[in-house]
Amino acid sequence: MVMLYGLLWRLLLLLVHVNRALVSWLRVRLQSWKSRLWERAMASLLLPLALAGFPEQQKNPRLRYISDGMSLQKLPVHIGFLVTEEEPSYTDIANLVVWCMAVGISYISVYDNHDIFQKNHSRLLKEIERQQRHLMGGDGHPYNVEFLSNGSDKCHNGKKKSKVTLLQPLRRTLMTIPDPELVVKFGPVDSTLGFLPWHIRLTEFIFVPSHRDVSYKDLLGALKLYSSCQQRVGQ
Amino acid sequence: MSWIKEGELNIIERISANVLKAGPMPKHVAFIMDGNRRFAHINNMERQDGHTQGFNKLAETLRWCKHLNIPEVTVYAFSIENFKRTQEEVDGLMDLARQKFERLLEERENLEKHGVCIRVLGDLNLLPLDLQQAIAKAVLATKNHNNDVSETLITECLYSNKSPNPDLLIRTSGEVRLSDFLLWQTSHSCLVFQSVLWPEYSFWNLCEAILQYQLNHKSIQKARELHREHQASLQLEADRLCTAEELQHHGNGKPTDAHTRQEALLHYITCREERVQNFLTALKHKRDLFFHDLCIEATTA
Repeated sequence: MVMLYGLLWRLLLLLVHVNRALVSWLRVRLQSWKSRLWERAMASLLLPLALAGFPEQQKNPRLRYISDGMSLQKLPVHIGFLVTEEEPSYTDIANLVVWCMAVGISYISVYDNHDIFQKNHSRLLKEIERQQRHLMGGDGHPYNVEFLSNGSDKCHNGKKKSKVTLLQPLRRTLMTIPDPELVVKFGPVDSTLGFLPWHIRLTEFIFVPSHRDVSYKDLLGALKLYSSCQQRVGQ
Repeated sequence: MSWIKEGELNIIERISANVLKAGPMPKHVAFIMDGNRRFAHINNMERQDGHTQGFNKLAETLRWCKHLNIPEVTVYAFSIENFKRTQEEVDGLMDLARQKFERLLEERENLEKHGVCIRVLGDLNLLPLDLQQAIAKAVLATKNHNNDVSETLITECLYSNKSPNPDLLIRTSGEVRLSDFLLWQTSHSCLVFQSVLWPEYSFWNLCEAILQYQLNHKSIQKARELHREHQASLQLEADRLCTAEELQHHGNGKPTDAHTRQEALLHYITCREERVQNFLTALKHKRDLFFHDLCIEATTA
């Protein structure tokens, strides 16, 4: 009897995994189908507009990001990215950092519980600078990027326009960085995996299946969700 | 209404429970019972009735947990922030708590039969005195009901000292925050956010949450192990540093050999562990005294 239940349990787990894989595949398919449809529609409808001199935004992408940020009811001052996937992608995280900065978020925390980002912070920093040039056309302003680890004591200073600091979670309490209002969790693991336990008392969690090939739209979607949520703070 | 709803699971529930129990089961589940007021609003009830329904749901959930062999349940019943609510609502909640803790004492035998051990965590000083006394009586009365756990604890600093951290934290009503509940202890717990309102929580919602736990089990175990190893190595490094400093201060300038250093390190570790143990014993004594004093005050009043 026990063996039978064991088998049924394994079957149940298998069904759930298959279901998740299917949903994820469908989502990707739907997204690519939607974007192709959109491109075709735009091409056919906007061509005349393009000829008339439409894209001021394309000359200055920063304006678009700034206006997106201002259109939200509330924007987090401090956002956290919690990556629970095994192999992180530096380019995608760098993109997220650059977009957040462009939209007007002051503090961005990046965390993974294997300390991969912390151990390779210079690589991430290079990637951020590269993506900043690529996405913004070389026009950036100073931002703070924190590498949170499981407790390393090392502290490194970054280059001219960026301030990169490696801090212990506890040490952070001595600095005047506000608690993250929003944490976006990437990956399948349903846990904070030790991310800033003392600072997330009122943090909203938003879940995105994967940080790989994450788009600006995904980030904006998360920010919109955050801006529409209500916190009663006990009342 | 009673603290423990009697009754067995029906056949389908029993089969599902047995299937789930074939996998790893959480030993400690924490609930943030959110959604009572929204439930009351939707069903055109008074808020107070929503809270009462919430309590009834708690009793039912405890029954399910018992059938699923989950030995420990922690619930987020009331927060310091909740004192900001209207006086009427706060009084209503305090009355409900009073009723339930008094009922608990009446049901003492039943609770003993089911092996229920009640622990109340938090700064009890903020509650009305008579409620504190009722809680103290309830905690002391059920203190020895659970054979596995020998300590009862309340604390004014870190709450769940000897209790294992929750394996699974469930928050109902769709909110996706922790709201200051067991932040330290849930850093490596499986977090499940469910949109159902607490008074409508069902056995299947609980099964769904447990299934999530089972799907995440391996990755979370790995992360916990990593964290534990890291903490252990940090502790060892700190111990080594302290030992080296001590040796420098008490030494006579000559370099120490590896054997002396190792001995000094072991000695330091033993002393540190003893200090920690003494502190915890003193803390436990203080807590027990707090409850005993409350009970004595209640009986002499």
